[in-house]
Formats: sequence, structure tokens, C-alpha cells
Amino acid sequence: MIASIAFRNFKALRNARIQLERFNLVIGPNGSGKSSLIESLMRLRTLARLPLSDLPVALERHGVGPEVSFHFFPPFDGWEAVMMCATEHHCDLLQAIPLPAGGGIEDWPTLRERLLRIRRYEFDHTAIGRPSLLKDGHELSIDGGNLAAVLARWQDSAPAAFNGWRSDVLRTLPEYDDIGVIKSAGGRASLRFSLVDHGESITGEELSQGSLYALAIFALACDPDPPAMVCIEELDRGLHPRLLREARDALYRLSYPETAGLSRAPVQVIATTYSPYLLDLFRDHPEEVVIAQKHGRVAHFTRLCERSDLGELMAGASLGDLWYSGILGGVPDEAGGGSSPKAEPAKP
Amino acid sequence: MKLAILSESPADEAALCLLIEAVLGSPFVRVQANLRARGWPSVAQVLPAVIRHLHFNTDAHGLVVVVDSDDSVVHTELHERPDYFHPLCRMCRLRAVFRQTTKNLPMARGRTRVLRGVGVAVPAIEGWYLAGREPDVTEEAWVAGQERGRAPYSRAQLKQRVYGTDRPSLVHATNCAIREIRRLVPDTRRLEHDFPGFAALARDLRTWRSP
Repeated sequence: MIASIAFRNFKALRNARIQLERFNLVIGPNGSGKSSLIESLMRLRTLARLPLSDLPVALERHGVGPEVSFHFFPPFDGWEAVMMCATEHHCDLLQAIPLPAGGGIEDWPTLRERLLRIRRYEFDHTAIGRPSLLKDGHELSIDGGNLAAVLARWQDSAPAAFNGWRSDVLRTLPEYDDIGVIKSAGGRASLRFSLVDHGESITGEELSQGSLYALAIFALACDPDPPAMVCIEELDRGLHPRLLREARDALYRLSYPETAGLSRAPVQVIATTYSPYLLDLFRDHPEEVVIAQKHGRVAHFTRLCERSDLGELMAGASLGDLWYSGILGGVPDEAGGGSSPKAEPAKP
Repeated sequence: MKLAILSESPADEAALCLLIEAVLGSPFVRVQANLRARGWPSVAQVLPAVIRHLHFNTDAHGLVVVVDSDDSVVHTELHERPDYFHPLCRMCRLRAVFRQTTKNLPMARGRTRVLRGVGVAVPAIEGWYLAGREPDVTEEAWVAGQERGRAPYSRAQLKQRVYGTDRPSLVHATNCAIREIRRLVPDTRRLEHDFPGFAALARDLRTWRSP
């Protein structure tokens, strides 16, 4: 959906640009703009709900305040959406500008509908495990706190999605041999997991933190009506390194549905991570990896595939180790390390 | 026979179990089924510890290690000469690790050392899966491409040919790997002919049948 984003004076992204793919794994130190990237998308979604500004473009685009400009993939490549902000924390204007070339000019409402379907997830394991109100099960909430209700709805109205989720979970967590969604008289749904060989079951609240995150990630991947864009911070959080392949596969199912035999539209995914192990899984697709770099208080993005010597580097070390070593960039400044604003950036 | 397998993914392991059984001509018992490597060079780094662990803490007779060659130097007959070692050849490196690690190990669990089985898939294990199905995919074709400076196919293309996508899920990759290996196991001679990196592993395994 979104092909590129250009930032001006938006938090640490003073003058930065990012090209987006269907799947994007963003790595980098704290404060390097990863969350700001996702925040800009959420603000775009918020402003897309409002009527567009009808002031002339020239009048709008002369300020020095933060500005974020979005370009789109076909069929909407004839639009530029520019978000203008009064302060770093207050973006109050969205202008859709028709470009001289590209398509979709007559169809802003459809693009707007897709922008409204951008979602950000910050899963909270305590919320995921809790019972939830059945009436709240329309779509997975930002913290995954209504997972049981969503699954209860799927069980009734989208059994293929529920069975797919169940199959993913039982394969990945082999200590369980069945999962049930229990509906209580109070209009609540809760999860129960049957332990292999014990004949006992436990509730969602008793599951481990990482297991609960895995449940939510699989729910994203199995959603029969997924968002247009999914942003998920710290995809690796709580997951054992060997489960990261499953997590990546699940999100690939969103971005590349055709590879899983699905006929729905691709979902654009932006995931962030601090895990070298997760990064290792992208050695065959460096174009999907974005390195967020911070030099002093200024951050910018580069694509891993822009690194011309990447093939030679990967011959001698894993991608995760290369990142950790610092030669790819995207590592924290260290005291006395010379990473002042004047420091030489990593080789592009 | 009790064996451990060290490779890069559960999909590879599923395929290797079938191949090992076919070459040995009998079923084997898997020891320490949760071994896994993160790809090169992690395999070479972790291998001494794995060998020592298997030697002292398990009753494994042998360890099978299979890695992809990627773009490294391909092992040739020249490398088989006594005392020859090519530092950029993964077969030479893994064999050297076995040699150095087991050299001074004391006897344990009734055996002097864990037997060595090393295979290198050129350029990736998907090449093995295509043996006999796609005649242009052979180790010889890859080496010829390296000499010309133009690879005959890429890793991504091999994945595409085996899995129908270069982003296969683990489940799909495992199913495809098993399907292709089941096609090959009735007679592994074609695989051994087209992929000397597998033939080397098969030779190692055959020496284990009559220790």
C-alpha cells in the first residue's frame, strides 16, 4: 500500500526517507526512529478519518513544522498524502495531493478506506490470557486483550480461520493437544488448553508470556479479514529463538498470501526487532530489512540490500552477528565511541 | 545404531533422517533430537562442543552434520589427498574440526570417539531435493558456473523450484523436502553421482555399517 515515507523534522527523523516493501523488518538502536515510523502511520490513519484540507497546497507547505509525506504503490501511485504537524506531538492536517503521473486519482475514498485499516499491535501477555467480552470480538485489539472473544467469533462464523489458528498453535506448542474457547453465561470468552498426557487443562492466564505472544501473532496471521497494514513492535519479544521462524512464517502469510495458497490481498507488515536470531532469517531477503541509524539525535533509514558488499560479508558471518558487530550500523552509540553528530556514518 | 544430526532446520532434519536410513539400510535411533545450528559459520563454531557433549554425555555412535556450501569453495577430489586442507572449503573445515576435537578425547561410553558423517549441499540442500528431477541442477553445473563467474542458478531459484516460493513456511518446506527425498531414497546413486557432497556423507555412513 505505502511505497515510501519522507520525514521532515518529525522527532528524530529530521530529514529521512524510507522505501517500504510488502514485508519490512526494522532493526536499530533505541531512539533511532523505529517507533516514530510506526507512530507516523498511526497519525496518518487518525487524520484519514477527517475531511481533507481544501486549502491550496502552496499555502500549506511553507511551514517549518514537522511534515511527513506518503507515497503509494499502484493503483494509488497518483497520490501523495502529506501530513502536517503543529508540533512533534500534534499533527493536525492531512492533504492529499494528486501527482502529475500515476493512478487512482479518482478513487481517494478507496485509498482512505485502506488507510483506516492500518493497525499497530503492542501485545500485552497479561491482557491476552484474560477472559474477554464476546461483544468485543470484532477484531484483535492493540494489546491482544480480546483474543478469546475474537477466537469465539471465528469459531462460529469463520471456522477455517479458527482451525488454522488452532493448528498453528498446537504445532508450535506441542505440550498441548487441544484448545477450547469457553463461553460463559456472563457473555465472556476464555481459553482452555489441554495438556498432553495429563488429562488436565489450564486457562489462558496460566500460559507463559511467550506462548501468549505466539497465540496473538498466529491470530494476526489467520485473520480472515486482516488489516491493510500491520505494524508490530518487538516481534521477537518473549519468543524462544527457535520459534522465530514460525513467527516470521506467520507474518509472511499476511504479506505474501499467495505463497500460502491464499487469494486475499497482501497485508503490508512493518515489524521491529532487537533479535539477531530473527535477523538471521532474512539472509535470503535483505531487501526486507531496514536499518534505523542514529547519529547524535538525528536518525535515518537505510535498506540492508543497499550495502554493496553484503554478499561478501555474509560469506563469513551470520547476518545477526554482522549486525551485532556494528559493521552494518544500527547499533547504539557508546560513550567515547565517537558517535557524535559529526561521526562518520556506517558505509551505505 | 544411535545417531545425532546437526543441521540448520527441522525441514532439513526430516529429509536427512530418510536419507541416512536409506544409506545405512536400516532404521536408526535419534539421539539428542534437539540439536540445531544457525547456519555457517555457527556450525563450525558450535561443532567442537557438540562433539564433546555427545561423546561424554550420550551413547550416540555417530554425528551427521550437513551444511549448505553457499558460495564457498566446493570440495573436490583434490581436497581428499592426505594432509590436504582448504581453508575455504566447508567439508575440509568440518572434517578438521572433527579431527582436532576427537584427537585427544579419552574413551567414553564404551567407544573411542563419536563417528563422523559430514555432508555439504552445493549450493544448498534444495539442490539435493531436485536431484534426478531437474537435470541441470548438479554440483558439476554449480562448479562450472563458479569457474565462469556466473552461477547457473541462485539459492532463491532453487527454493522456488522445490517449494514453489522462495519464502516457504517451515511446514511447507518440511512437506516438500520429505516428498522429494522419498522419491530419491529407493536408489541414492543418482543423488550421489550428481552431488559428491552427499556422496561423501554416504561414504562416511557406509563405513559405520561394519565398524
